[in-house]
Amino acid sequence: MAAIGVHFGYTCACVAVFKDGRADVVANDAGDRVTPAVVAYRDTEQIVGIAAKQGRIRNAANTVVKVKQILGRRYDDPEAKAHREESKCTIVNKGDLPLYELDTGETTKYVSPEEVAKLVFHKMKETAQSALGSDVKDAVITVPFEFGEMQKNALRKAAEGAGFNVLRLIHEPSAALLAYGVGQDSPTGKSHVLVYKLGGTSLSVTALEVNSGMYRVLATNTDHSIGGESFTHALAQHLAAEFKKLYKQDVSSNPRAMMKLMNSADMAKHSLSTLGSANCFVDSLYDGMDFDCNVSRARFELICSSLFNKSIQPIRVLLDRVNLSTSDINTVVLSGGSARIPKLQQMIKDLFTDVELLCSIPPDEVIPVGAAMQAGILVGKESLVLDEDSITVDCCGSDIMVKEVDESGADIFTVLFPSGTPLPARRQHTLQGPGSLASVCLELYQAKKPLAQIVLRDLPPKEDMHDIVTVVTMKRDGSLHVTCTEQCSGRSEAVTIAAAAAAS
Amino acid sequence: MLKEALEAQNTAVFSAITASIQVQVEPVGRWFEAFLKRRIRNVSASFQELEEEEELSEEEEDEELQLEEYPLLKTLDPKDWKNQDHYAVLGLAHVRYKATQKQIKAAHKAMVLKHHPDKRKAAGEQIVKGDNDYFTCITKAIEILSDPVKRRAFDSVDPTFENAVPSKAEGKENFFEVFAPVFERNARWSTKKHVPKLGSMEASFEDVDNFYSFWYNFDSWREFSYLDEEEKEKAECRDERRWIEKQNRASRAQRKKEEMNRIRTLVDTAYSCDPRIKKFKEEEKARKESEKKARAEAKKKEQEEKERARQAELDAARLAREKEEEEAKQAAQLAKKEKDAQKKAIKKEKQKLRTTCKNCNYFVDSEAETVKMMEDVEKLCDRLELVRLQNLNEALASSNKEESRSAIEKQVQEVNAQIQREREAELKAHQSARSLDQASTGTGGGKGWNEEDLQLLIKAVNLFPAGTNARWEVIANYMNMHSSSGIKRTAKDVINKAKTLQKLDPHQKDEVNKKAFEKFKKEHAAVPPTVDNAVPSERFDVSDSTPWTTEEQKLLEQALKTYPVNTPERWDKIAAAVPGRSKKDCMKRYKVSTLSTLTLNKMYLKYLRSCLIVLCLR
Repeated sequence: MAAIGVHFGYTCACVAVFKDGRADVVANDAGDRVTPAVVAYRDTEQIVGIAAKQGRIRNAANTVVKVKQILGRRYDDPEAKAHREESKCTIVNKGDLPLYELDTGETTKYVSPEEVAKLVFHKMKETAQSALGSDVKDAVITVPFEFGEMQKNALRKAAEGAGFNVLRLIHEPSAALLAYGVGQDSPTGKSHVLVYKLGGTSLSVTALEVNSGMYRVLATNTDHSIGGESFTHALAQHLAAEFKKLYKQDVSSNPRAMMKLMNSADMAKHSLSTLGSANCFVDSLYDGMDFDCNVSRARFELICSSLFNKSIQPIRVLLDRVNLSTSDINTVVLSGGSARIPKLQQMIKDLFTDVELLCSIPPDEVIPVGAAMQAGILVGKESLVLDEDSITVDCCGSDIMVKEVDESGADIFTVLFPSGTPLPARRQHTLQGPGSLASVCLELYQAKKPLAQIVLRDLPPKEDMHDIVTVVTMKRDGSLHVTCTEQCSGRSEAVTIAAAAAAS
Repeated sequence: MLKEALEAQNTAVFSAITASIQVQVEPVGRWFEAFLKRRIRNVSASFQELEEEEELSEEEEDEELQLEEYPLLKTLDPKDWKNQDHYAVLGLAHVRYKATQKQIKAAHKAMVLKHHPDKRKAAGEQIVKGDNDYFTCITKAIEILSDPVKRRAFDSVDPTFENAVPSKAEGKENFFEVFAPVFERNARWSTKKHVPKLGSMEASFEDVDNFYSFWYNFDSWREFSYLDEEEKEKAECRDERRWIEKQNRASRAQRKKEEMNRIRTLVDTAYSCDPRIKKFKEEEKARKESEKKARAEAKKKEQEEKERARQAELDAARLAREKEEEEAKQAAQLAKKEKDAQKKAIKKEKQKLRTTCKNCNYFVDSEAETVKMMEDVEKLCDRLELVRLQNLNEALASSNKEESRSAIEKQVQEVNAQIQREREAELKAHQSARSLDQASTGTGGGKGWNEEDLQLLIKAVNLFPAGTNARWEVIANYMNMHSSSGIKRTAKDVINKAKTLQKLDPHQKDEVNKKAFEKFKKEHAAVPPTVDNAVPSERFDVSDSTPWTTEEQKLLEQALKTYPVNTPERWDKIAAAVPGRSKKDCMKRYKVSTLSTLTLNKMYLKYLRSCLIVLCLR
């Protein structure tokens, strides 16, 4: 059973297929694994992808970019407004919904953002199907965490319009986690993960809690003012300044020249992620003058240093918000094309010392791979229809701990049942007591408050440690049942702790 | 490292735990799916573990398996493998369809170790060459039983399975003893696990209902491919294979149908015999009956109540009516009495007046006047009411002769005047009624519409059909232009009239039409007689006003002869010779007649010629 995962980003779209237990990104007809989410309207046809992006220099007014910014938004929405100001296309108001006004030869076409998205999805579907060689429709689509109901609906409608059978919409950070299989090995254990996504136009940092194999978003921070394009823009500005220095000509006021420079800077930026220096070369940039310039990685990092700082800053803000320190984070997942930049990776590594930095999958492919994996889980199952995109589950409110002593005799608390564990759940631990003792006492605490104690007496003395198997079971209402059994003698004690009146 | 318990410490609970909280989780990952599934199925994680353990233990059981020796094994004919009992061959006759794959494998292994030709040869036994050795049966058995599809086919026709269905008579006696094993036996064909048991007499209605609905919708996996008469593999070509397939399919379907019928019969029999069903039905019946009874009673009560209320109402009404009647009677009697009294009084007064008048000799002297006076007095007596008669009598009694006379005369005059007035009023009323009558039947608009106008209107309405621009104005104009009555009509008048015409009953319409026809007849009365008089020979005359008579024709011919062609002013003379015809008429007539004579001549010639030709041929 094959299934598809699609990531539809602000600047790029990417598709991965799940087949034979593996999820892989597939390359489009141009051989690229990532397709620019750019749609160009011509007289007779619509072009999606790299061709449209390159043709934008000549056809800017009829080329739609970053359609995701306006998708499913009202005309007066502030985000839509920002997009309107930035976009080179004419956008008209039709019944409070924005429509692109596109000039296709003789007639003027009015196209809704959903239709543009539909074309991109259609391209993605074609790509996936040509790789699979069969007509596969089942797909999981990723959405940013901050997307509202209307935008999700618009995205879903666009995908369905392109012929997809949308199994589920999942959030981008959870897809990134799933791609690395964080917490999927066993249904126990708890950890904190940070997903750092630096896309083309937006930065989002998300803190998640992984508990019993399930993900829960603690907080998220999105900044639409920074992204890969900011770096390109900074580099292009630098190149323009270089050009001015060389030819005493100002090209920054010439949009076509600037667009050419942007394209060149984009290429240079990409090579600088792997190479020490890159060559920018633009034929007849301005007034028939060619431009040739060499940029080193150090130069690029210098140009963008303030931007880099700006991109790292949200991590601290976010951690402050959820009351976690950098050491509380167990894993950091990098995603988004701009997370390839070596300097950024270095900065994050510096921030999270001895934390696992997951970047083995190309960052811009992490999210579609995760989506494809989810699609692989869902496909072929009897449909578990979800009304909403995230559902609420009962969880343990706070840690259940047992008080122990370490070698030095100081009290330590060991967590038996971590907070946030989805209920009902059972956890089994083997606690140890000195074999010389005839009795042991388990003192259970919750949030430093004594909860109960379990005493096992008349234990036969032993050479080695007493092994006490403790089974902790919590029901959905939060009531706890603890059973302690001494392995050798089989002595056991059990307590049931009722839940307090439902704390709302 | 756990601490040692102190002397005073005991197992105890100190405080309640904080209740669970609700958090949103991301719908991703397999653990989420597992969680969701558990939640939907409403089972806990430990339950799932238990289920898994159960499966595990089932597999472990296989280890201690006793194989039963099949005494007839050595006598089996490998060619007749279809009819052998595969389970028995492998020594699994006691487990049969319950045997697991593992058990079958183990049994096969044991059998092979024991019965392989090589082994037996080593033991000094005689071996039949080729496939005819009974070992082939073992191979066949494992071939069938190790393949789930083939095994299912064999299980379906398990020779040890009792297909019989108990009869009704058997079931009636002791239902549970007879049917429980039958249902248990047949439960193995169910595709669904956990077949409901027959239960006991004490089972609840839901259980019994559940049991029967399960068995009525029984989904069996039993199939009869094992009994196929032809083997598909044996076919030599595709067509043959197809034919075999078709045959097999038909026989399988037939058997399957029989099987379904068997199950159905079983369930039907059980249902009809089930004492519990009887019990439930009786209970239901009793319940319904009691309900019905209660309802009937309630209805009856209600009816009675209603009847009583109605009776009371009727009584009250009757009483009231009687009372009313009584009152009316009394009132009538009173009125009659009064009237009588009045009449009497009037009579008395009249008498009095007459006597006074007579006594006074009618206040006049002459005889003639007396007669007139008497008439007057009689008139007065007739017309005057009681009060005025009384007044008059009083006046007469109190006054002398002259005054009396004048008083009487005055009264007479008044009476006359009154009579006159009444008559006038009557006349007026009569007249107004008549005029009203005329108005309603007549024009409606006030202006007179004569027949001609009406016809004109109908014509106009037909001429300008609905949809004509400003239709009614146009019609009105048309009417004004063509009407002979000279009344100017507005569009409104025309509309009103047209509407009333539309509303007129068909009889009236007919009348209008008839009148129109009569008028038409009258107008065109002059034409038809001429048509009637027309001579058939003169049918050439089409447009001429008057046809030529034979006399005229003769005269014309005569004139033509008398005035030869070269006569000056020939046609004038001819015209003069034929009275009542002009020169032009004569010329026309001449042309037509010569034409007709010419054509006649030509035809005659032609005829002659043909005759000649015929003669020549002869």
